[in-house]
Amino acid sequence: MQPPEPRSRPGTASTHMDSASRQLTAALNSDQKHETALLEVEHLESGYDETRVLWDISLEVHRGELVALVGANGAGKSTLLATLSGLLPAWIGHVRFAGYDITHRRAEEIVRLGLSHVPQGRRLFSALTVEENLLLGAYTRRAGSQQAIKQELEEVYTLLPKLRERRRQLAGSLSGGEQQMCAIGRGLMSHPELLLIDELSLGLAPQVVDDLLSALDAIHREKGLSLLLVEQDVQIALERADRAYVIENGHIVLEGTGSALLQNERVRTAYLGA
Amino acid sequence: MLIVQVIVNWLLLGSLYAAVALGFSLVWGIMNIVNLAHGAFILVGAYAAYWAFTQLHIDPFLGLPLTMLLLFCLGWIVQYVAINRVIRAPFLMTFLLTFGLDLLIADVVQLLFTSDRRSINTAYSGFGLTLGTLHIPFDRLLAALIAVLLTAALSLFLQRTRTGNAILATGMDRDAARLMGIRIDRIYALTFGLGAALAGAAGAMLVELYPFDPSQGGVFTLRAFVIVVLGGLGTPWGALAGGLVFGLAETVVPLLPGIGPGYDDAIAFALMVLVLIIRPRGILGKAFYA
Repeated sequence: MQPPEPRSRPGTASTHMDSASRQLTAALNSDQKHETALLEVEHLESGYDETRVLWDISLEVHRGELVALVGANGAGKSTLLATLSGLLPAWIGHVRFAGYDITHRRAEEIVRLGLSHVPQGRRLFSALTVEENLLLGAYTRRAGSQQAIKQELEEVYTLLPKLRERRRQLAGSLSGGEQQMCAIGRGLMSHPELLLIDELSLGLAPQVVDDLLSALDAIHREKGLSLLLVEQDVQIALERADRAYVIENGHIVLEGTGSALLQNERVRTAYLGA
Repeated sequence: MLIVQVIVNWLLLGSLYAAVALGFSLVWGIMNIVNLAHGAFILVGAYAAYWAFTQLHIDPFLGLPLTMLLLFCLGWIVQYVAINRVIRAPFLMTFLLTFGLDLLIADVVQLLFTSDRRSINTAYSGFGLTLGTLHIPFDRLLAALIAVLLTAALSLFLQRTRTGNAILATGMDRDAARLMGIRIDRIYALTFGLGAALAGAAGAMLVELYPFDPSQGGVFTLRAFVIVVLGGLGTPWGALAGGLVFGLAETVVPLLPGIGPGYDDAIAFALMVLVLIIRPRGILGKAFYA
């Protein structure tokens, strides 16, 4: 994306009013885009040690959007999320979030800016209780915000009532679905603007996945929480997503609205077995 | 009456051993580092207490907070300057580095204090509670109580405070901890500092009870290792359980018919092998803690 044109330009170029006003409109549009795109990824490359996994990734998540990232095993979905949340360093490219350049920031700082990452495999603190896990999710909140943390905890319990029942239980003793619930609840406790969820449905029963998605839908709609959902279950993801990206071998090969991609020939043959 | 005396001796010694292993257990459990310089920290604690007692006339027990503060700072610096570099390196690297640190610290102690045996004689040394034939020395009783108190305090700190929970979380899953916004470099420095402070406390209490010289660091590292394997990682109470079992080897088992004294180490390691066979995670080691 080009940086916005300087505002003074149209005024000085009075002889070419048409092109000038077009430039102005372009500049305004571009400005607007800067305001609305919560997450902007440009030409991002990263990987592990010597192995490059992501190639020239560009994508956007706007405020209030549910964006899905779909692709096969090993396509680089988890690597992308880990790079966005700062767990892995970016090699080339830019990541901007909520007006900040977070390309080279540490994970510890990025979560403070409002980007929360629910990692693949839940990664709960299994020898701690459910409530302790949730409270660690609010670690970024300074001491003295006890009231706000309590309120956040109440909201998470209201949204995911099962967690309230299990609050004193060790996280490691929960069922898979409850663990995913706990992981999502923990991710919400930092009061994020954008929630990255890696493999929500992996290993869970369809009923559980439905429940989780409805809960997420609720916060997505009521609170305007933006979501970037990584899914292997392409059908589930595309049905729910406003927009989606298809990632193959570390490249983004398709993008579009969820419903458009559901109809897409390539998607249907490669991922939906049609 | 002998049996009661033996049991009392066992409890006192076992609790003291908990203090020896507490810091070692914390650092191993949270940072996954087997700190071979742990005995050297005990040594520094012992000589700091000795120096404070002979030069400043500070009682080792009363000076315990000072010794711990000194060791905390030493541990923090060592972590920041050295350990940080190997925290994600292969296991062997951490062994090499902490072994090197152990040699360095022990030699500096020897340079400052010579290799003579040192001991502290307080006004109350040799005094104790006497109940019939049962004798409980004050200093040993106090050391055992402080050891249990330190165990309880560490456990409460880890379980009940925000920072303590952050330490546990970092030990369980460092990347997940980072995603919570936990600064793991600070957590590691704090953990290592606490480990050194607890070693210092153990040293200050040991020098009050036994003569000390700079060659003894390695002995205590080895004992801490066995105690932690016996008791299990993941909770400070594991160090106490391990300490008590280890204490058996020196107090109770030698009195059994047909065994006799002189086999302390053999018995201790036999117990370790036994526990590893029956319960590989240690007596109190936690299942979810890996």
